[in-house]
Formats: sequence, structure tokens, C-alpha cells
Amino acid sequence: MGDKIKALWRKTSWAWSPESERESSEAIVKNFWLHWFPAKVARASMDWNYSFWLGTASASLLLILTITGVMLMFFYVPSTERAYGSIKDLQYAVSFGRLLRNQHRWAAEGMVAVVYIHMARVFFTGAYRGPRAVNWVVGVVLFLATLFLSFTGYLLPWDQLAFWAITVGTSIAKQAPFVGPTIQFILLGGHEIGQQTLLRFYVLHVFFLPVLAWVLFAYHMWRVRKDGGLAAVERVRNERVMAPKATPKTKSYSLFGLTPGTSVQVMSSTGLEESDQVFSSPNMSRRIALVFLVVFNITLLAAILFNAPLEGLANPSVTPNPAKAPWYFVWLQELVASTTVRFGGYTVSGALLGGILLPGFLLAVLTLWPWLDRSPLRAGGRWLAPERKRQNLTFAIATLAIIVLIMVGVYLRGPYWRIYWPGQPRPETPRLY
Amino acid sequence: MDGERRKILRFIGKGSVLAAFLAQIGAAGRAFFPNVLYEPPSRFKLKRPDDYPDGYTLDEAHRLYVIRQKEAFHVISAICTHLGCNVQWRDTEFDCPCHGSRFRPDGTVISGPAPRPLDWFATTVSPDGFLEVDSGKDVARDFRLVIGGKGQA
Amino acid sequence: MADKNESFETKDFGWMVAMSILFLVLVAVCFWLEFSTEWGGYQLEFPQLLGHYGKVEDARDFQAGIKQIWIPKIGVTDRCITCHLGYEWSSVLPATIAEPLKPHPMNDMIAKHEFAKFGCTPCHGGDGAATTIAGAHQGGTGWEDPMLSNALAAQNGLTMNEMIQMRCNFCHRHDVATPGMDEINLAKVLFKKKKCLLCHVVEARGGTTGPELTYEGDRNPELLIFTHVQGEHTMFNWNVQHLTKASAVSPSTAMPDFNFKPEESRALTLMLMSWRRLSYPPEYIPDPEVAAAAMQPSPTSTPTPTPSATPVAR
Repeated sequence: MGDKIKALWRKTSWAWSPESERESSEAIVKNFWLHWFPAKVARASMDWNYSFWLGTASASLLLILTITGVMLMFFYVPSTERAYGSIKDLQYAVSFGRLLRNQHRWAAEGMVAVVYIHMARVFFTGAYRGPRAVNWVVGVVLFLATLFLSFTGYLLPWDQLAFWAITVGTSIAKQAPFVGPTIQFILLGGHEIGQQTLLRFYVLHVFFLPVLAWVLFAYHMWRVRKDGGLAAVERVRNERVMAPKATPKTKSYSLFGLTPGTSVQVMSSTGLEESDQVFSSPNMSRRIALVFLVVFNITLLAAILFNAPLEGLANPSVTPNPAKAPWYFVWLQELVASTTVRFGGYTVSGALLGGILLPGFLLAVLTLWPWLDRSPLRAGGRWLAPERKRQNLTFAIATLAIIVLIMVGVYLRGPYWRIYWPGQPRPETPRLY
Repeated sequence: MDGERRKILRFIGKGSVLAAFLAQIGAAGRAFFPNVLYEPPSRFKLKRPDDYPDGYTLDEAHRLYVIRQKEAFHVISAICTHLGCNVQWRDTEFDCPCHGSRFRPDGTVISGPAPRPLDWFATTVSPDGFLEVDSGKDVARDFRLVIGGKGQA
Repeated sequence: MADKNESFETKDFGWMVAMSILFLVLVAVCFWLEFSTEWGGYQLEFPQLLGHYGKVEDARDFQAGIKQIWIPKIGVTDRCITCHLGYEWSSVLPATIAEPLKPHPMNDMIAKHEFAKFGCTPCHGGDGAATTIAGAHQGGTGWEDPMLSNALAAQNGLTMNEMIQMRCNFCHRHDVATPGMDEINLAKVLFKKKKCLLCHVVEARGGTTGPELTYEGDRNPELLIFTHVQGEHTMFNWNVQHLTKASAVSPSTAMPDFNFKPEESRALTLMLMSWRRLSYPPEYIPDPEVAAAAMQPSPTSTPTPTPSATPVAR
């Protein structure tokens, strides 16, 4: 009996723990989940220090968010009358509800950061060159989907934090030339944030954007296969110098019998050698499982230690002072607040300049970067190649500027958007009694 | 690391993940059992005994009849035992408008498709002086809640 | 398997085991957190208390878990009774029992405000949906409506019984006078005597010299100017000082300095802050004439019976 169970278990799980090279190869072909992997993967791609497995971490977070999100859907009500109460119920009256909501929130904020850092890694390793430019663009769209997922989710608790953050965000959208007011009208389902807005953001958040993210993720993986693996593989190929291999001794047949000699000149291959590669199953699948475990543990620990914020019920008549966008958009708010230009009788609104034109320009440059990049192709596939100094510096400076703006917006801005340095007392918010 | 220790550690590792995974499934399952119900609780308070006249008083919200005979109270469910419609008290009997079941004043069936008599609910007086019904607890048809004195004594 | 594959397995082995164990530990912590609630202990204590006072059957029937009073008509979901389990047992449990198990005080007036009809938060404030002490009493960040406590009342120079009248007036706003609401009754008398309606509109009547006061209780405290206000920046303080000596708080105001006594200013402030946009169904709004009649002592009226002794029948 025990043997039968063992045999059955072996039959279902063999692909995940192959016991021979043949099984490793067959696992890729015969198992549904593994069929998207190549049979072998380059050791260079497996290196922690190359990619830090940030892409896998991003995907892990997407999976965690999808699972926790679906569970939350059984409890959350997307109605302006009931949304806030349903979140309170999650927090206090649903078993494990507090932890579920917390894990969803921290995974979401983490995902925005991890996806950005993954993008930075791809940039600094020049891994978007050549055929990988397409996947870079797919990645940028995935990044925007992540931001928009976070933005739509932010409104759902319908508390003061949510309501006014989305007020600020959608007002920036309105400033887009020509299409701005229409975009805002469609986003809000009207001119004001209300039930119709909540419903649209809800459907976007639970259906359209997750579907978009998963479909694009699948395509993102497909492109990795088509492009021949991670860009680290290119580096390995570039390092393989074509050199004559030691010619094998061989025999040849001459008129008078066997004659010792050498055979044809053979050059070493510029492809990957066997020593450069390992079987995907179980090595890559094991590391993916490990990364997922680490990410899950981190989000669960955060959920245990920190509660997701929830302020008072949304009140359209009372604006909190100050009203801030979520941290991943607060740099935009900083730009908007400080780029209003007045000359003569004209005023160019900061919302247009800092909210639409500048970020639009940055986004365009980001998307088209693979075609703007003039560094040599050989410089790709490794960290901080000296040939890419200019490009890397540009990205680093832009990232640093954004981080500084985020820090200022989150930590230094107080009531009336004035700067308050650490240690400087802030005016207390008046209470009722 | 030698083979034996490896084997044990591997077992611990896999066992931990399996146990944690099963526990998570358990937690998710538990989360689906509501801890609070947004519906009338099965045990609820009605009005004070003195607020009820003699005879049969319908409580529509709770789907029951409060029957008072001087100081004796009992509560009969108005939910027809056939398919759940509200029966109507008609001075001498309960009639069900859906399929014509008829019940005697004590809830037993006269005629019609109803398979069982109407339920009698356990009734007490709450600590702060209200009639309290437990619709999850049935009592026999000789049950009477007798209240002494004015209000309660 | 070739040697090269072994090395990946060796490399990852330690981390896999460690992360797996950590996973189990964290999940165990989640379960522990879930079962170590703030209310769990009280719910173990309460049946014992009931048994001690002779209520053995009720002690046996006691079911642990979150308890709530749900009144959708007035938007009340109050889980206070998850800890405050003795609330309806004033007929059995003495008032000397410590919080949170002590029974709710009971008298004629309170008896008219049945728990099943009012819940807890309409009178006491706080966040009824919460099941932690801090969450329910103070509320989270930005929760505007903390529970009225002795400490909070004292901070404002009041007793609990005085401060709670602010909330009584949510429904009793249109009573001419209400028994048990001495401070509010005083405020209503002063309001008439000092002719506030000459300069202020209240419920569509009055002058436009000063701002409309109909929903003064809903005003955003951040819109007030506290430059000349002594003490804490609260709307209560602002109103008390403004009523007493308006020119001290707003130098350019047209409002005269009434120089009210402190208790008069506090009473008027309580009334002003009770004026909020609330919609209770008609059965919650008392008939003003009934309340006024109750204020008149009548030699022929009999006192309403107090539920005091235990019920007889079982």
C-alpha cells in the first residue's frame, strides 16, 4: 500500500524533482507548468548577483496580490455607502481579515518599488539592447499597469486618504492638452468623484488591469524565450573567443593502409557550452520557489507588524491638510506644486507642466530608450559596463531626483504644503473636543 | 553536510512548507465563516410584555405571533412549514396564502400540504425586561411564560 | 545528476530549509495573533461572573465570539458588547463590578432608550465597528468622533453626564426642554433670551449678520482661527471663549461680548456642537410637547416602573 502511494506520488511529481538528466529534459516537454521554461538555462542567468531575481520577485508579488485580492473580493463592497464599513469589517470582524488586508497592501506598495528596481537593473545591465528592445517596451507597459493597479486600488477603502489622493491624481490627468477633460470625465464617470468612480476603479482594479498584467506577463516571458534568455547569456557568448581547438588525433586511410595524422581544423563554438548551462528542472524551478517563499515571508512579516492605514470616512466637504498623493505619485505632486510659471499676463499651470508634459516626456524617453541608446551592443549583459557610463548615469540621476522628490513629499511637507524640517514643530490639527 | 542530516533537514523544510500551506488553507476557510451576521440574530428581543394586548399579535419583522392570555405568553412562528410563506391569523385559525395550509390556534395542521405543525419558540424575559425569543430553540405546545406582577416582579 | 547540478542544490539547500521554517513560524504567529484577541479574556470571565450571581443557565448558554448590535435604519454596527458583556444585566450585577463587565446604569430615562433600538455609539460616540480598545474608544487616525469618557469630559471642564447631553440633543434638538438635560435646557433658554437669531440663521430663520449656525456641529475645526485662543486647539475651546468674549477670539467681529459665566458658555457650546446633519427615522425623534409636558411636575402622574427584579417564569 505504501509503495502504491509512493508510486502515485512519484507519477504526479516527477517533473519537479527529476532524478536523471533525461527526466530533466522530459519534464520541460511533458509538464504543463514547466513547458514555458527552456530545457536548460545558462548559469550566468541563474546568478543571484546578476538579476537579483527581481523579475521573479515582481511576479511573486503579482501572484500574492492576485490571491489575496480574490479573497478580499468576498468581503469588500464597492458601494460608497458600504465600502468603508466593509474594510472595517475586514479589519475587526473577519477571521484573519486584518492580516489579509495588510498583506495585500504591503505587497502592492512593495510591487511598485520592486518593479521599478527590476527596471533599473535591466537598464544598468544594458539588457534592453538589440532584440530585447521589444521586451523593454512590454516591461514599461507592465510598470504603468502596476502603477495604475495601485492607483485604482487606493480609492477602494473610500476613506479621506483615498478620496483626496484620487482627487489630486485625477485633477492632474485633467490638465492633459485636448484630451485631459475627457479622460477625467471617463475616469470619474462624471465631474465629481462618487459612486460611479468607485465602481469604475473597482472593475479596473479587480478585472481589467490584473488580466492585462497577467497577459503582458505571459508575453514578457515569451519574449525572454524568443530573445534567447537573459542578456547575461550575450555576455557569455561575447566572452567565448573563437580559437582553434586542439585538433583530435585521428586515423586516415591511405593507399598503403592506415596513416596517423590530424583531421580538419575545428574552431571552438561561440555558442554556449554544456558547462555554461544547467537543467531548468529542478534548478531554476527551485530558485523560483525560493524567491517566492522569501517574498511571501517578507509580505507576511510586514502584514503582522504593520497595519494598512485607514483614516476617517471620505468627506467631500473636508480636505485633509495636507492632501497627499500616494508615495509613488507624490513626486509628481511635488512637480505639479512647484512648476507653475507666470510670465506677463500668462500662467502655465504646474499641473500641465509638471504633471503632464514633464512626466510625459520622461515616459516617452523611457519607452524609446533602446532606440536612443548609442552604446555598443557588446556592453550589454553585465553590470555597469564602462562603455555605458553616460547612459547609466542619466538613469541614475533621474532615479535619484525622483527619490529625492518622493522623500520631500512624504516626509518634509506639512500643512499648507509648507516644508517642515525634522525636529521643526508642526501645527497641531485642531480637533472637535 | 552529510547525507543523513541533509535528509532530515529536507524533510523538515518540505514538512514546514506543507504544514504552513495547509494552515493557510485552513485560515482562508475560517475567514469564510462569518463572525458577525447582518441579519436578525436567532435570539432577539421583542417589546416589553406589557406592550402586548391579549390575544394574537403579529410581529412582521420577526415573522412570528406573540400570544398573550392575561399573564401567560407564548410565541408561535408565522413561517409555514410547507415552503416558508407567512401564515395569517384569522381569528380562529392560521391560513397560509401560498398553498392553502390551515393550522389550529396551537399551530397543529388542520389541512393542506404543510407537513408539520408551526414551531413554538422558546421565550424568556431578558435581564432588562423585554420578551426575548430564541428562534433556534423549540418548545412544546404546553409551554407558557408566566409573568407575575406589573411589568415583571 | 552531474556534479554541476549538485552545486545549485547545495547552494540553495540552506536557504530553502530556512525560508520554509520561517514560513511555518510566520503562519503560526498569524494563528496566535488571531486567537489572542483583546476581548477573549473578558468572555472567559463573564460566564463565571454570571454563575457567581446565580445565573447558571445563562452562564452555560453563553456563546463566545464577536457580538454586535446591528441597526441598519440608523447606520449602527456596534460591537462594544463584545467586551461590555454585562450591559443588559443591571438587574443582577452590581454597579461596583469593574469595566468592561459592569452593567449599564439603569433608570427611567435610560430604560426608554432601549439597547436594541439605539445601540451604543449614538449616545456614547466612538467607533462601534472596532473590536480593540484603542480602535473603539479613540478610533483610528482621523476618526473625528471619539467615545465620550470621564477624562475627555474633564478636559473640557465638564462631567460625563453634562457632555453626553450634546449627543442627546442630536434627537432632542427640537424639544423646548427635556428632563435630564439641564445644560442643554439652559442653553436653549439663553439662546432665546439673548436673541441669537437676530444675527444668525438657524434652520431657515434668522439674520445674516453672522454665519449660519444650523449645522455648526459639522463645521471643520481646521477652518477656525486659533491665534487668540487659550489652551488646546479644539472647537470646544474656541466656541466657549468666543461666546464669552467674542472680540478676544476674533478682534474684528461684530458679535458683542456676552461675558457669559463659564457654565453658560459651556452649555451653549454643547448645544452648538450638537447641531449636526443627521437623519434619524421619525420614530427616533421625540415629540417636543411630550418632553415639555414631562418637565412639568404633575401630582397625578405615576412613576414608570423600573425593571429591577429578576423575571419569574422560565
